Amino acid sequence: MSNERHKLHPISAVINFIKGLKDLIFPFVIIFVANGFQGSSGDSIWSFVPYVIGIIVLSLVLVSGIIKWKRFVYWFEDDELRIEYGLFVKKKRYIPIERIQSLNYTEGILHRPFKLVKVTIETAGSGASKEAEAELTAITKEAAGYIETELAKAKKRKQNKTVELVDAVWGEEKVESEEAIPGTTIFKMSMKDIIVLATTSGGIGVILSGLAVFISQFSELIPYERIYNEVVVFLKFGFFIVGISIFAVLVVAWIASVILTTLNYYEFTIVQEDDQIILTRGLLEKKKVTIPLSRVQGIRIVENPLRQLFGYCTVIVESAGGSIGDKDQKIRLFPLVKKNEIKQPLQKLFADLDIAPDWTSSPKRAKPFYYRLDFIWMIPVVGSICYFFYPYGLLSLLIIPIIAVLGLWQHRSAAIAITGNQLALRNRGFSKSTFFIEKKRMQSFMVKQSPFQKRKALASIETTIKSGALGASAKVEHMDAKDIDELMTWYEPSGDAVIEKGQPQ
Amino acid sequence: MMHSAIVVLLAIGAGVLNWWLEGPVWILMICIGVPLLYTYLFVYLFPKLQWLRWRYEVREQEIELQHGLFVVKRTLVPMVRVQHVDTEQGPILRKYDLASITISTAATNHTIPALITSEADELRSRISTLARVAEDDV
Repeated sequence: MSNERHKLHPISAVINFIKGLKDLIFPFVIIFVANGFQGSSGDSIWSFVPYVIGIIVLSLVLVSGIIKWKRFVYWFEDDELRIEYGLFVKKKRYIPIERIQSLNYTEGILHRPFKLVKVTIETAGSGASKEAEAELTAITKEAAGYIETELAKAKKRKQNKTVELVDAVWGEEKVESEEAIPGTTIFKMSMKDIIVLATTSGGIGVILSGLAVFISQFSELIPYERIYNEVVVFLKFGFFIVGISIFAVLVVAWIASVILTTLNYYEFTIVQEDDQIILTRGLLEKKKVTIPLSRVQGIRIVENPLRQLFGYCTVIVESAGGSIGDKDQKIRLFPLVKKNEIKQPLQKLFADLDIAPDWTSSPKRAKPFYYRLDFIWMIPVVGSICYFFYPYGLLSLLIIPIIAVLGLWQHRSAAIAITGNQLALRNRGFSKSTFFIEKKRMQSFMVKQSPFQKRKALASIETTIKSGALGASAKVEHMDAKDIDELMTWYEPSGDAVIEKGQPQ
Repeated sequence: MMHSAIVVLLAIGAGVLNWWLEGPVWILMICIGVPLLYTYLFVYLFPKLQWLRWRYEVREQEIELQHGLFVVKRTLVPMVRVQHVDTEQGPILRKYDLASITISTAATNHTIPALITSEADELRSRISTLARVAEDDV
């Protein structure tokens, strides 16, 4: 085995620098804008202080970027991937190769011209820390290929050992088929699908909330009093103009989100290779994510009303591990797909999955539970809006039937189903989501019952699975208590004696 | 406790404001009555009922917890899923020789509050042995 130490590509110094800059952008903008707002108060030396500090900080970031690159080495030794980095605090990280669960590749804009990739190495334990287990900021594609073959070699050595053991028992039957099975493409998004995805995505919400955050950052700098007078004049134009301008903002946000989504999901492909799912996507920034099938904890199918109308849905895979704040822990396996087409590819990936089980719906008597509670907060709100904004405020009455209809809709969606070792839950907040969870993946199971539910023999359930570093829970509300009891006995490991029973003191 | 402290503070503020602005007497009465009732409910009555309602059951293959005043919550944790068990004791609990147990799975935490220390320790070691024995049969 070659113990040659490898370095990252020099471009990673630049990437480190830019990353450092990105973290600094907000403090910088605030310092400079705040300084500018104070006005130029003479030519005293003190007015230059911010600039001097700025330059010092910038050069520090630059130098630290270069040092980070200079000190970073990785190599293979004793079936371990070893990484060393750090100037003052030297860090050594040795990862046993069989613990490496997946390699994820990202190609950013800076990587593309030099044929480089960023490699993120994930192990099962990477949950606790905020970063992935190891990150190689920029290496050439050949080097990435080298890592991959090195991994494969090490895995094979391990396998050969066990195979030899098996051979000793079973005679000559040799396993040799493992030679690079070409992956089968399970799913590919057409350009049309991507456009549909982009136009109907909730990305608008993200951008709007981003805008709100951005504005709130600056709220202290905006001269509100000056603006206020203008706003009063503005308001006199009436609600119409306000409406129009809100609409214009929304449209711009929407267009931006369409472009972003298209860039992100360009050439979205899912490939199955052995027991792994490999996902590639992106135009400017190419991403390649690997998910071992054994890490998949549950499958979720989400249909928002707009997409449901056209028979589209999203399939999301909840997988364990990954790092906190990593968006990839909820992986959209099929970002947008016709619902009647998902069965075959899903069956190919997950043989035990039954996506059309026998649903047990929420009973009729549960209907009022879905909208009753909403009325409690709604009545005072609607009442006061009607009172204070008399003519237009009456429009708020419209919300009552909307809530009622949504409640009925939620009621119709709520259902549970058990098939073998699989639990399926279906509920609707606004979008309908359907969970498929294997019994062994359920970490805990909770039944909730309020006195009102008890009177009508209803109960709600919630179960938690591991997802990413934390848990994700699936709930269904207001089901028949009898069905819930059945579910409870299904989940309970077979009957046994009570060992300890009690109550806190 | 904290809640009722906040409510009391708010009520005092409102009362002082009322006295200062020479408002009607009945507001003052409310300012005294509400925090008293609130404190009674949230410091004495509800915790007591909650305590009366708390049940736990440790079986060979699972742990069942049941608690809740209005909304009754029943939680089932299979032994196979238990990752580790902690006991915890703050200064107040120590004074009364109590400890709480936290049972952690890969994704969730479940706490049984305020058990007698020796009992809690025993329960902890028992759960951990059971969790070690329990086998994944699925």
